[in-house]
Amino acid sequence: MATVEQAAVDILKEKLGDKILEIVTPRPRRAFVLVKHGFHRDAVSLLLEQFERAGISTITGIDLGDEIELNYHMRCHGAVITIKSRVSKEKPQIETITDLIAGATLYEQEVFDLLGVVFKRHPNLKRLLLSEDWPEGSYPLRKDWNPQDVKENPYNVHTGPSKINDQGLDGTTYTTNVVIGPQHPALLEPERFLFKVDGEVVVDVEPRLGYVHRGIEKGAESLTFLQDVHLIERICGICNVSHTTCFCQAVESVGEIEIPPRAKYLRTIVVELNRIHSHLLLLGTAGLVLGYESLFQYMFRDREPTLDLMEMITGNRVVPAFNTIGGVRRDLKPGLNEKIENILERFEKRMRFYKDVFQEDPTMRLRTEGVGVLKKSDALKLCVAGPVLRGSGIKMDVRKDDAYAAYDEIPFNMITYKECDCWARLMVRVDEIVESINIIRYAAENLPSGPYRVKVPRKQPKGEAISRVEAPRGELVHYVKSDDSVHPYRVKVRSPTLANIISFREIAKGGYVADIPTALISLDPCFACMDRMVFLDVNTNRSWSWRLDEMKSLKGEVNGR
Amino acid sequence: MGVDLIFMFRVLVFPGFAFLLAFALFCDWFERKVAARMQNRIGPTYTGPMGILQPLADYIKLLMKEDITPRQTSRFLFTLSPVLAFSLFVFILFYVPIDGANVILASGFEGDLILVLVLVTVAEFAMFLSGWSSVNPYSGIGSTRILTQLLGYDVPLMLLALGPAFLAKSLCISTIIARQKVPFMLLIPWAFIFFIITLQAELEKDPFDTPHAETEIVAGYGTEFTGRKLAFIRFSKDIQTVFSAALLASLFLGGPCESILFGSSSFLCTAWFVVKVLLVIFVLEFIGCMCARLRIDQVVWANWRIMIPIAILSLILTVVCAPLFESLIG
Repeated sequence: MATVEQAAVDILKEKLGDKILEIVTPRPRRAFVLVKHGFHRDAVSLLLEQFERAGISTITGIDLGDEIELNYHMRCHGAVITIKSRVSKEKPQIETITDLIAGATLYEQEVFDLLGVVFKRHPNLKRLLLSEDWPEGSYPLRKDWNPQDVKENPYNVHTGPSKINDQGLDGTTYTTNVVIGPQHPALLEPERFLFKVDGEVVVDVEPRLGYVHRGIEKGAESLTFLQDVHLIERICGICNVSHTTCFCQAVESVGEIEIPPRAKYLRTIVVELNRIHSHLLLLGTAGLVLGYESLFQYMFRDREPTLDLMEMITGNRVVPAFNTIGGVRRDLKPGLNEKIENILERFEKRMRFYKDVFQEDPTMRLRTEGVGVLKKSDALKLCVAGPVLRGSGIKMDVRKDDAYAAYDEIPFNMITYKECDCWARLMVRVDEIVESINIIRYAAENLPSGPYRVKVPRKQPKGEAISRVEAPRGELVHYVKSDDSVHPYRVKVRSPTLANIISFREIAKGGYVADIPTALISLDPCFACMDRMVFLDVNTNRSWSWRLDEMKSLKGEVNGR
Repeated sequence: MGVDLIFMFRVLVFPGFAFLLAFALFCDWFERKVAARMQNRIGPTYTGPMGILQPLADYIKLLMKEDITPRQTSRFLFTLSPVLAFSLFVFILFYVPIDGANVILASGFEGDLILVLVLVTVAEFAMFLSGWSSVNPYSGIGSTRILTQLLGYDVPLMLLALGPAFLAKSLCISTIIARQKVPFMLLIPWAFIFFIITLQAELEKDPFDTPHAETEIVAGYGTEFTGRKLAFIRFSKDIQTVFSAALLASLFLGGPCESILFGSSSFLCTAWFVVKVLLVIFVLEFIGCMCARLRIDQVVWANWRIMIPIAILSLILTVVCAPLFESLIG
C-alpha cells in the first residue's frame, strides 16, 4: 500500500510534470515539493481534489536572500505535503489560494504583514499582527530588517487606537457598533472584536488580532536551539508543553536524533497533564462566561491536583521546563506511580460529576445547545483544528493521524460529537479529559526503562522539518529550518487558535449578543499563542520587552505633550 | 410635638433610614458570604468580625472616588436616575411592615400592595434611565434588557401577588400579614414557588442576570457610573433585595406578625422580620448559585410562555381552593 505522501507525490508528478523542480521526502508522512513560480495553485488544488479532508495548516515565508520562499503546508490525511514556491524579493507577488481554500486567508495576511509578499486577488489583504501605524515597507521577518528602520520612522503614539476599517460592515440601518476588547471581562487576554449589532442580533463581526506581539519567531532566530526551547515555552502559559514538544520534535527531525522510548512516554504523560489542566481551565471559564460562577469556582478547585501532579513530576506547576532537545530533563522519581494513580482516581470521580453537569443542567444546555453552529463542511473549508473540528463531527486528531511521542503505542479513543454547536465543542473537551486520564495511567504503568535523554550537539545540520502536535486547542505546527549553525535559520509557529479564530465570524454571525462570549469561549482562544510574532521593541536589537525605566520614560513623554 | 418626634424617630432611625440602611448592608454581606460558601470560597473576612463591615467599607471607598460624568451623557438624567432609583426603593420599603407596623402609617391602607408594585416598576424605569442616559453601547444594551426583562416578569409578579391578597380578602399588606394564622406559603405553595422565581428575575440574579451580564456587556446599565453615583446604584440594588425578600416574607411567610409563640412586641417583630428576610435571601442566593445565565430572548420566552400561564392557573387554583382554607385564615 502506498503511503499518503507517496500517493500525493505521484499525483503531483503525473499532473505537473516538469513544473516540479524538486521533491524531497525526508521522513514518513512528510514531503517537500518545490514548484515553478505560478504553479502552486495547481499543486494545491490537485491535493485538495485528491484528498477529501485535506486542508491547509499554515504558510511559512522564508527569506532566502534574493528570494522569498513560500511554504504551503497542506495537511492531507495525517501527512503534511509542503508545496514550495519562490518569489523575487524585488517584486514579491504571488496569486492567492484563498479561492481554493478559505482557511488560507489569515495565513496569507500574516505573510503579507511580516514579509511583505503581496497576494494578488486576496479578498482582504490587510495587516494581521502588526499595528496599523507600523511604518510601510518595514518587514520584520526579512533577514535584512533592522529595528533601526522602525526607530527612524517611529510609529506615531498619538494616532489613537488602530482603526478598524468599516468596509463590509455597513449596509444595515438600525445597527450599533459594539467593540469588545482589547479590554473586556469576557476576554482573558487582549484582543479586539468589532461587532455590528442590530438590537440583540449580531449582523457581522470583525476581529483584530495582534495586541500581544512579542516577536518570538524573530527572537528565536537570534538564540541557539537549546535556548529557543525555553523561549518557545513562553509562547503560551497554558499549552507550553505542547509547544516545547513540538519544537523539540522539529529540531530532532532536522538533526535526525532518535530519542529514547522512556523520554517519549514521559513527554506523553506531561503533555496529557497539560491538556487536562488546559481543558479544565477552559471549561471553568466557560462556566464564568455563561454566568455559572459556581461551576467556575469548583472547576478551578479541582484543577489544583493536576497542577500538583505536574509539580511532582517536573518540579514546576505550570511552566515545567521539562522537554529538551533529545529527551526530557528529569526522570520520574521512584514511588511516584502510586501517587499519580491516587490523584487520578479522585480526579476521575470529579470528572464524572462535571460530565453530568454539562449534560444535564438545563440552564447550561439552554445556553450552549444550537449556539454557534459550525457546519461540518464549513469546518473543513476553514481548516479549523482540534476540539472545534471534532465538535463538528470530523475525526481528525494529530495523535492518531500523525502519531508522535508514544501515542502509537497507547490505546485511546478519539472523541467526536455530531452536534456542531458550542455544547458539542465543550463536551469534546470534557470527554477528552477522561481519555487523557487513561492515557496517563497507561503510560505510567507501561513506562519503559532506560535513559531519558540523549546528548545532542549544539549545532544542527542543514535541513528543514515540520512537526505537528495535538495541543489542547488543536493541531499545533512548528516549522524549523536549520543552516548548519547553532541558531535556527527560521522558526515558524502556527498555533491552533489562529486556525480556529477564522471560524469565529461564521459562528457568531446571526447569533445573539449574549452568545458572543459563549461562541468565543467554545473555540478556546489563546491570543498569546496566536500573536507571538512581532518584535515591537525599537530600543535594542536583542531584548523584546520594555524595562521598567523605559516604560516610565515613555509615560513621561506621553504626559508631557 | 411629641407625636412628631416619634414620627421623626420612626422615619430617620428605627425602623426607618438608619435601621434599613444598616440592615441592607448586613444583607449585602450575608449574600456575599452565602454565595462564597456555596462556591467553595471564603468571602469577605478582613473588615470587621468575619468581614461584616466589608460592604460599608466598599461604600465609603466608592463615596470617596472621583465622580466622572462622560461628556456626551445627558447630564440631568445621568445624575438624577441613581438618586431616584435609590430614593424610590427606600420609599417603597417604608410601606412594608417591619416592626409590626410600617414606617409611615401605622397600619398601611387598603391598596398599598398595588402602590408598592407600581412603584417597583417605576424604580425599574429609573434604573433603565440610568443606563440609557449614559450613551454607551454596553449601557444601552443593558438598559434595553432591563425593560425587556420587565415586560416578561412584571405581569406574572403582579398576578402571583394577587393570590395572597385574594386569600386575605385585602389589598393591604398589613392586613394580609394579620390574616396569616398559617403562613400562606403552606396554603398555596404553587404561588409561593413561582413568586420566588419571578423575584429572582426582578433582582437580576442568576439565571436572570442578563441586564448586567459581565461577560457580555461589562456592567450593563451601570458601566459608565463611578464614585457616588455608582454607590447609589449599588445601594439601591441592596435595598431592592431587602424589599423583595420583605415582600415575599409579608405575602407568604406571615411577615413580622404577632407571633403565637412569643407574643407581640416591637423587638420580637423586628427579629422575626430579620430572620425571615435572611431566610428568603438565602433561598434566592441558593438558586442563583445553581444556575447559568439565560439569554434575554429565553427569559422573555419563558416568562410569556411558561410563567404567565402558570400565574393565571395558580390564581384560578387559589380562587378554587379558597373556601377550603376558610378556617385557617384569620
